[in-house]
Amino acid sequence: MASPSPAPSPAPILTLDRVSKHFAGHTAVAELSLSVPRGVIYGLLGPNGAGKTTTIRMIMNILEPDGGAVQVFGEPDGGRAQSERIGYLPEERGLYRKMRVLDVLVFLGEMKGLERRRARLQAEAWLERLGLAQWRLRRVDELSKGMQQKVQFISTVLHDPDLLILDEPFSGLDPVNAQVMKDTVLDLRSRGKTILFSTHIMEQAEKLCEQLCIIARGRKLVDGALSDIKRTRSGHHLVIGFDGSLGGAAQVFADKELVSKVDNYGQYAELELASGADPQQILRRLVTSGARLSKFELQEASLHKIFIDLVGPDAARTEARPDA
Amino acid sequence: MRKVWVVIRREFVERIRRRWFWVMALLGPLFFAAVFVLPTVLASRGGVRQIVVVDATTGPVGARITHLLNDSPMFRARRVPASGKVVDSLTTQVEQKRLAGFLIVTDAAADSGKAEYRGSNVSGFATVGALERTIGDVVSAVRLEREGVDPRVVARARIPVRIDTKKIAGGKTTGETAAQSFSLAYFMGIILYTAILLYGINVMSSVLEEKTTRIVEVLVSSLRPFQLMLGKVLGVGAVSILQFLIWGVSARVLFAHRPGFLTGGDVGEADQIFQVPHVSGATAAVFITYFLGGFFLYSAMFAAVGAISSSEQEARQAQQPISWLLVLSFVSMFGMLSDPASAFAVTLSLVPFSSPIAMPVRWVAGNLPTYELALSLGILAVSIVAVTWIAARIYRVGILMTGKRPNLRELVRWVRA
Repeated sequence: MASPSPAPSPAPILTLDRVSKHFAGHTAVAELSLSVPRGVIYGLLGPNGAGKTTTIRMIMNILEPDGGAVQVFGEPDGGRAQSERIGYLPEERGLYRKMRVLDVLVFLGEMKGLERRRARLQAEAWLERLGLAQWRLRRVDELSKGMQQKVQFISTVLHDPDLLILDEPFSGLDPVNAQVMKDTVLDLRSRGKTILFSTHIMEQAEKLCEQLCIIARGRKLVDGALSDIKRTRSGHHLVIGFDGSLGGAAQVFADKELVSKVDNYGQYAELELASGADPQQILRRLVTSGARLSKFELQEASLHKIFIDLVGPDAARTEARPDA
Repeated sequence: MRKVWVVIRREFVERIRRRWFWVMALLGPLFFAAVFVLPTVLASRGGVRQIVVVDATTGPVGARITHLLNDSPMFRARRVPASGKVVDSLTTQVEQKRLAGFLIVTDAAADSGKAEYRGSNVSGFATVGALERTIGDVVSAVRLEREGVDPRVVARARIPVRIDTKKIAGGKTTGETAAQSFSLAYFMGIILYTAILLYGINVMSSVLEEKTTRIVEVLVSSLRPFQLMLGKVLGVGAVSILQFLIWGVSARVLFAHRPGFLTGGDVGEADQIFQVPHVSGATAAVFITYFLGGFFLYSAMFAAVGAISSSEQEARQAQQPISWLLVLSFVSMFGMLSDPASAFAVTLSLVPFSSPIAMPVRWVAGNLPTYELALSLGILAVSIVAVTWIAARIYRVGILMTGKRPNLRELVRWVRA
């Protein structure tokens, strides 16, 4: 079933063109442009208060942008007009507590343009799939929090949307549901759906995203394919282990043409490469100088490190959120 | 719009599934009947009152009053001659609740019509009224007899008078009595007030529920906030119409099998003031039209209140000014009923916030110029549009807000934005 994923088609499924939003006395999103290709998992990353939720709310027409344009499926009206094809999971979740599980799902399915009968069939199939079938006639407030999360998630995917917009989808999930969420996202991705999700947890994004955009204080810092970003933002970090003889390593490390920073432990060293330096040249010079190497590894920076480098340790901390 | 319809259906179905709807539907008529008849019934039917007549007269007046009181089913009277100690011991008996009270009659009664009643419940107007009538009857008979009138003539002269009032409407004398009109107007006022308040608050809590559970965010990503608000108001409105239908039917059933206390016995005054009136088609139409008008006007305001609040307590506080508007309209109904054509009454029936209660009351109470009805409806319709427009703009921003409730200046900014 794991067929090779289709190549992203050139026409983006979602584009933001210089979108801005101001609230009383502060700018939540400033001239943000991004483009989400069809059929990818796209991460909208940033610290708390960066403007992720505001951006998503503008995509869904919950907030009107003060400037700029949002195109969804190539249409200029934004997400609400296309809500039949979009599954939206807001950051803060909730259901009608007094309603029966199945009724809530049918209602939300109908809100997304499904026929009543079809909404019911889909809801029952999903409840079955996530192990909630025997709870379908119970009231929502009789369910555990984890079960409510599942119901909420079902309501997002019930109408088989082409585009999923998930705002901090993993926050507050128990480990089991986080797994369910991840599996379902990957399954939808393999069926050619596009997933846009926001998070401030970089480890998650690193494992899931193919494309991403990092924002802070409402501004875009970088966007593009994860592999491209890693390539251009990392590859400057070298770890070397010695096997007894250091040879002329000290001279090599002192060459400012090659190395900008060194952390030498004797039998072990971490280097920052100078810009434009070729790691292969360092390897050659170390070997010729008579050093014996047990390890020579060009380390890829983690997304977390790239993020901290870009955002700065201050901005990466939680900020006040006047918009939410 | 299909999605609005889906919202309407959810509001409707979820509401009529709840237990309180059926409790209200079935107990409503009983409740209104109680509100409406009970005070009078209670006042006029306090059981048999044990009283003592302290007779300080030199003539037969004390004895005759005692005799006449014993003829009435309200009293069981005993006559004792006046003495210094008697008043003290009777006072003790009243305190011990062995006696409802005692009446002190002196010779002054026959001359000036004065007597004194001391009881545990002096304010019981039915008791005092009956005592006054009894004493009055005896005193006037005694005076006439002193003037040499034959006691039999006196007895024959005392014929109770009852005025039959008929309402003139459309140049015709209807079969409706003034008492019926009054009770219908009163009754309608109560129902309008209660129902508008009840269902307006319903809209408010529904808005608040969606806001506090945050489900509103999913909803407004699929339909416009105004559509959501509209669906909500229409859905709750449909529930209220169903409620009225059930009330109408059950009131008919109740009336057809009305228990004895509504008609029989010596209810007397209650029976005269509160007669079950005939409700014409036009009256029903006016009632429903103004109910819906008032409901739309007020529920739009209640929806805005729900949207700017973030908890039940906050909402309860914020809705007070709106409830006061309704309470004020309701209370002024009593002033209006005494003169339905006064400038006060006309003003209230034109101002949109009070007209939903005032106009049906005036319609029932007296002749109403058609142009006034049309003007009042026109003003109400325009106000509904204007208020809904403002409320929708507050609603739109409010449902996504969390934290502090906005102040008036911020609200104005939302409306202008």
